Amino acid sequence: MEKVCAGRVVVGVIGDDIHVVGNRIMQLALEESGFQVFNLRTRNRPEHFCQAALEVNADAVFVSSLNGEGEYWCADFRRQFADVGLGGILLYVGGNVVVGKRAMADVVSLFTGYGFDRVYHQQPDIGVAIADLLEDLKRGKAQA
Amino acid sequence: MARPRRDARRTALEHTRHQVLSHPLARGITPREVQDYLAKVPRRRFPRVAYDERGPLPCIQPRGGVPLFEAQHALTRRLSEAGADFVPLTIDSYTRHNQYDTATQLLRRSEEEGKDYLNGYPLVSHGHELSRELYTGIDKPISLRHGTPDARLLAEVALASGIAEIEGGGICYCLPYSEGFPLDRCLLYWQYVDRICALYSTEDRPIHRESFGPLSATLVPPAIAIAVQIIEALLAAEQGVVSFAVSFGQTGSLIQDVAAARVLKHLTRSYLDEFGFETTRAYLVYHQWMGQFPQQREKAAALIAGSAMISGMVGADKVVVKTVDEALGVPRPEVNAEAVDSVRYMLRIFACAAPVTSPLIDREAALIKSEVRSIIGAIFDLSGDVFWESVYRAFQMGYLDIPFSPHSDNANLLVSMRDANKSIRIVDRGHVPISDADAEQERALLASVGDRNDKTYRQLLGDINMMMV
Repeated sequence: MEKVCAGRVVVGVIGDDIHVVGNRIMQLALEESGFQVFNLRTRNRPEHFCQAALEVNADAVFVSSLNGEGEYWCADFRRQFADVGLGGILLYVGGNVVVGKRAMADVVSLFTGYGFDRVYHQQPDIGVAIADLLEDLKRGKAQA
Repeated sequence: MARPRRDARRTALEHTRHQVLSHPLARGITPREVQDYLAKVPRRRFPRVAYDERGPLPCIQPRGGVPLFEAQHALTRRLSEAGADFVPLTIDSYTRHNQYDTATQLLRRSEEEGKDYLNGYPLVSHGHELSRELYTGIDKPISLRHGTPDARLLAEVALASGIAEIEGGGICYCLPYSEGFPLDRCLLYWQYVDRICALYSTEDRPIHRESFGPLSATLVPPAIAIAVQIIEALLAAEQGVVSFAVSFGQTGSLIQDVAAARVLKHLTRSYLDEFGFETTRAYLVYHQWMGQFPQQREKAAALIAGSAMISGMVGADKVVVKTVDEALGVPRPEVNAEAVDSVRYMLRIFACAAPVTSPLIDREAALIKSEVRSIIGAIFDLSGDVFWESVYRAFQMGYLDIPFSPHSDNANLLVSMRDANKSIRIVDRGHVPISDADAEQERALLASVGDRNDKTYRQLLGDINMMMV
C-alpha cells in the first residue's frame, strides 16, 4: 500500500451547497491516484480553503460547486491565498460552477480572472482534472 | 448498554410543548381542540385503516407540494381523483430548516407574482386552520413528507390540520438531509414528535409514523438501511407509537429488493416483539428508484413500470411513486396523476400473490439478516442510559455509517459497490460491526464481477448512475 505521495490536495464544496456525492468520489479518485486528500466536505467559505491549505501545506486546492454558487464565492479567490503567503498554490475549480446556461469560454475566462489555474465546468470525468494536476505538479507551481 | 424499554417514554413534556405551541405561527393550537378534531375527521384518514382495508395490491402514493393554498388544494384533488391511495403534502425547504419567516415572505411573493418561490407547501406559514380546508371531503390518509431535523412545530401544525401520517425520524431526517444539525438534538426532537403522535392516538384512530429508508439513496447497503429502520421503529415504539411503517428504496437489484423486504419485515416484527411492543403494528413501504433518473421520458417510464412491478413482488403495503419528469424538476399535477395511473396498471396486470423466492434470494436474505443482527446487537452493547444515547454513540463509533451522507458526524469509512447482479456489496466495512465471515462473503460476491479493469471511482460513478445507461 505504501506509495510515494503524489501531492497534498485540499478539496471541498463552496457556498451553502450540500452536494456531497461528487465530493466523496473526488476524494476516492484522488486517493486512488496517490494524493493525500484533506476533504473539507460541504458548506465552505473561501477562508476555509485558505486556512486548510496553510495548515496542511497543500500543493493544490480543488473547489467544487454544484449549484452554481461558485461564481459569487470564488471572486477574489487568488488574492485571499496571496494574503496568507500562498500566492503560488495551484487553484482548480469544477462542477456546475455558474447558474444557468453560459458559453464555456465565458465561464473559463471568468474563473481564470478570479485566479484559478484550471476550470472544469460540467466536465463529467474527474480523471481529466487528475491528469492535469499530475502534469502541473511536475512542471512546478503555478504562475501567481 | 441500553436496550429499548417500555418505560423510556418521555415524561414532563408539558413544559416543552407549551414553549413549542407558544410560537405565533402555532396560532393558538390546543391539544384538546386537536384531539376533538381528529376524532371527527373520516376514519380512513388514518393509515392503519387504509392499510387494513387495502386489497392484494400495495397502496399508491405520489409526491407533491406547491406553495399556494389554491394550487395545493387543486393538486390534492387531482391526485385523489387519479386514484392515489395516500395523498402527499411535501413541505418546502425553508420550513424544513425552521426558517418560517423566509418561508412566509416567499409565500407572499409567490401569491403576489403568481410564480413559485418555494419548492413545497409552507404548512407552518399557512397554519392549521386554513390547511384543514385542503382536505375537506378527503377520506384517505394525508402523508407529511419533509426532511426536517427539528419538526416539533411542523408536526404539531400537521396533526392539527388532520394529517395522520408523519414521515421522518431522528436518523433518517438528519444524516441524509443536514450537514451540521446535531444528531443528539435531532433524536430528542423526534422523540417529541413520536410522543405527541402517541398522545393523539386512540384505539381505532392511531396516528401513523413512517421512517425514510432510502437515506442518501446512493449505494446504501441494505443492512445499514434496515438497521436504521428497525432502530427508528423501536425509538417510536418506546414513545408509544402503535402504527409505524418501515421503508426502503429500490436498490437496483431485483434479488436484493426481494431479500431486503423479507428481512426488513421479519426483523422489524421480531425486535418489536422482543422488547414488549407487540401492539405496535409495522407496515412496509417501497420507494421507487431514488437515485438519479433518466432525462428521457420513455426510459423514466420504463423504470417506473419495472419498479412498480417489484413493489408488488416484495409485498409492500405502499409504494411511493416517481414521475417521468423526475429528472426535470417538480412534476406538473397531470404528470403526477399519470404516474399513479401507470403504477396501478402495472400492479394490476402483474399481481403477485405468492412471495417470490430463489436460492440466490435466500442466500442474500441470510447475509443481510446476519449483518443487521450484528449491527443492532453491537449498538445495544454501546454505553448509554437510554436507547437513543446508544444510537447516538453508534454514529460516533462508525457502527452506523451511511455512504454519501453530508453530515459531519458520519464516519464515511464504509465503501460499497455493485456486484454482477447489481446488488450493493460492502467493499470496506469501515467500523461497521459486521462479522468477518459476512465481510468476507460480501467481498467474494463482489469478486464475481471479475476484474472491471477500471479505476474504482469510475466504477463507483457507474454504480451510482446505473439507471442512466
